[in-house]
Amino acid sequence: MNMEIDLDKLPLKRLEAIDEAGNEQFPLDIGYEEKRLNMVRRIDFSSVVEERDAKKQKNSKEAAGTQPWPWQSLVENLQVAQQELSIILDLINTVEANDAVTVAGMQRPKQLPHESLSDIVVSSATKLQRLRHLGRYFKQSSKALEQQVTRETRFYDSLIRLQQNWKVKRQHVGISVPGSESCFTIDLLHNSMTDLVLSSRSSILSTVHIDQDHAGVLTVKFPLRLCRRLSIEFPGFHSNHEQKSFQKGKVESVLHTREDEKMALAGEDVNEHVKDSHLILREMHRSIFQEQVFNLVNQKSYNYLPGVNVISMQDDCLQLSIGHGTYVSFRLLPSLEEEPNEKMNSNNQPQNRESGIRSTSSLGSETVDEKSYPMDYLNFPDPASLEIFLQYLFHEGVFLKFKERRTYAPRLVMPSQPTSDGCNFLGHFCMTISHRIFSMRVMSMLEGLVARVPYLHLHYHPTWHSRISSWCLSLKVPLSILHSRRRIKPSESNDLKRGFRSHFHTKVVLNGDQINVSGEGTHEVGSLRGDFAAGCLINCYSCDLVDLPMVILQQVAGQVIHWLHEEALIIGLKVSRDFLCLWFSLDQGDKLGLVANVNAGDIRGCISWWLVFDDSSMEEGKLGATDDGERRSHKFLGNLSLETLYSTLMDLVSLSVYGGGH
Amino acid sequence: MLGPQNQSTSLQRLNHAEKMIVHALELSGLAMDELANSTGPRTDVLDGHCGEFMQSMKEIQTTLREEIKSACDYRPFEKCDYGARISNEICCQKLEYIAEKLDRMKKTIVQFNDDANLTS
Repeated sequence: MNMEIDLDKLPLKRLEAIDEAGNEQFPLDIGYEEKRLNMVRRIDFSSVVEERDAKKQKNSKEAAGTQPWPWQSLVENLQVAQQELSIILDLINTVEANDAVTVAGMQRPKQLPHESLSDIVVSSATKLQRLRHLGRYFKQSSKALEQQVTRETRFYDSLIRLQQNWKVKRQHVGISVPGSESCFTIDLLHNSMTDLVLSSRSSILSTVHIDQDHAGVLTVKFPLRLCRRLSIEFPGFHSNHEQKSFQKGKVESVLHTREDEKMALAGEDVNEHVKDSHLILREMHRSIFQEQVFNLVNQKSYNYLPGVNVISMQDDCLQLSIGHGTYVSFRLLPSLEEEPNEKMNSNNQPQNRESGIRSTSSLGSETVDEKSYPMDYLNFPDPASLEIFLQYLFHEGVFLKFKERRTYAPRLVMPSQPTSDGCNFLGHFCMTISHRIFSMRVMSMLEGLVARVPYLHLHYHPTWHSRISSWCLSLKVPLSILHSRRRIKPSESNDLKRGFRSHFHTKVVLNGDQINVSGEGTHEVGSLRGDFAAGCLINCYSCDLVDLPMVILQQVAGQVIHWLHEEALIIGLKVSRDFLCLWFSLDQGDKLGLVANVNAGDIRGCISWWLVFDDSSMEEGKLGATDDGERRSHKFLGNLSLETLYSTLMDLVSLSVYGGGH
Repeated sequence: MLGPQNQSTSLQRLNHAEKMIVHALELSGLAMDELANSTGPRTDVLDGHCGEFMQSMKEIQTTLREEIKSACDYRPFEKCDYGARISNEICCQKLEYIAEKLDRMKKTIVQFNDDANLTS
């Protein structure tokens, strides 16, 4: 086999020509690319081409002769394809290796018809697949969007409802945290309260976070341990009043039935869901307020208050002493404590009498029981009512005043109740406590009196002022007497015109710790005659608790005497009246006296009566010593009812009519 | 609560708009399905879907535009009612207290009557 070897010339610059003048002529410098190109051109493809043509001719000759193997043409085509591919690959490699040659252009071979059709089919199939894929994607995203929409609807419905009542604030979480929504909180602090002193706990409590669970249900975190309530106690006294408020029971039920609530989620009204959150927020808001009250009470106790001393001051407990021997403690207790033992009363004290809303107290059957309990706590007001009162005072006096001060800045004088002055509400409160205690004592004393005098009735009049109490003791003339009186004097149609009383009133007013008694012994104010000259007496006394029974009894006895006096005048007897005596003038200058004896300590009855017979001595018949055995004779009549007294009058009428002594 | 359409609240209208968006998305999915139908898309069905889609787009746009126009400015907590709320809480406590006392009085009366009936 012949092998041609081609040797390159050495890359020296060879002289090409030289002319007569000695100038040398070198061949032009062929560029690098030119050199490469020349080398490529030197590749001789002709042999390959000849071979191929020769082979083709040979094969076609052969193919006509032999029996065609069915795959023969395929094989040949593939071989040809392989050869062409190898040429192309070589060319490509050369092109890649040699920078001198680049592809100028390529022309796509014309497609055979079936090829173009298959191309179309493939592309349309892929398009269809992509469309299907897109359709699926849209459907999935619509489902996901629907879920998200329902979730958010649930959440925002609840949030809107909360926003109607509470201050909802939004904080945008930083952009660096992708995918997180904005965070909502509820601010429980009132704007004007920021100036007042707040404890650190309540400021923690004041911002409530709103959470959203996976189903979109809005939940509010309830910091159970931080909620506290104000409690007023008298040390040593356990109130019967259970602190279980209506709201507190609901909060407990909310906390304990969380899981059930979640199960019954589907299809529920959004208002139901929000109720729990509202309840929790209400509880927290109330707790904050009560803490503020406690803090303010603490603050106020630093000032001097008359009669009030601070016994001890702790973080959550303040003890004061009010007056003599009365101790009050203000405490902040956790709201939802579960200590049922504390509420059970071991001592058998009855329910404490509250100085609240009593309208009438009839003949006090309770007074009998009162004596058997040793402790004086019966006179203490119910601490629960005091808690409410303290909150009310704080709110009215401090809070609203504060608001007014803010909104009406130039106004200096605020029209307000003088007693609920914002600066002095603790003093007012303590004085109220002492007033209430004293008032209970007065009332029990009055009830005792009324129990022992059958024709006396006690009414309690609410004064709507926390430091003033007022009672009315009314003496009522029994109806039987009124009827019989009407029988006697039927011509007098209108009793009132003649000033005939059927009631006598004694008013007892307790202002702070001052007792004022005012009693009537006169004609009615509505008397048309206006006969004030005829002894218009409204006696006013102020006295101590010790003297009160006597004062009242004397007043009442005086009223009875007055009434008897009038009745006697109607009947036609000759009577004259003394302080607690009624003298009847009989014939022959004799005098019969009906004398009232008041004794507050008498158990059987406070007002007893004596009959004194005084014959023509013109001396004042007085209840003298029993050894005065002169011309006077005393007969003890005992405790008489008004009917009996009236019938006594009747008897005296018959006496004086029929004459003679008795 | 959900009265006739013209009386629904703003929130309900926005909710409706959201639902329409979801529906539009569904429609587009259906349209794609229709196009991807192996036997070729049915033009009437496809037209129906697309028409519905455009209609819902129009409706969504009008609703949102109206809502945006009618939204008022956000005034932060101008009318905070926390003060009145506390007053009400105090009143509630008062009422609970009074109710409890009245219940006790009633019980006492009933007990008294029972005792009276027993002894008489």
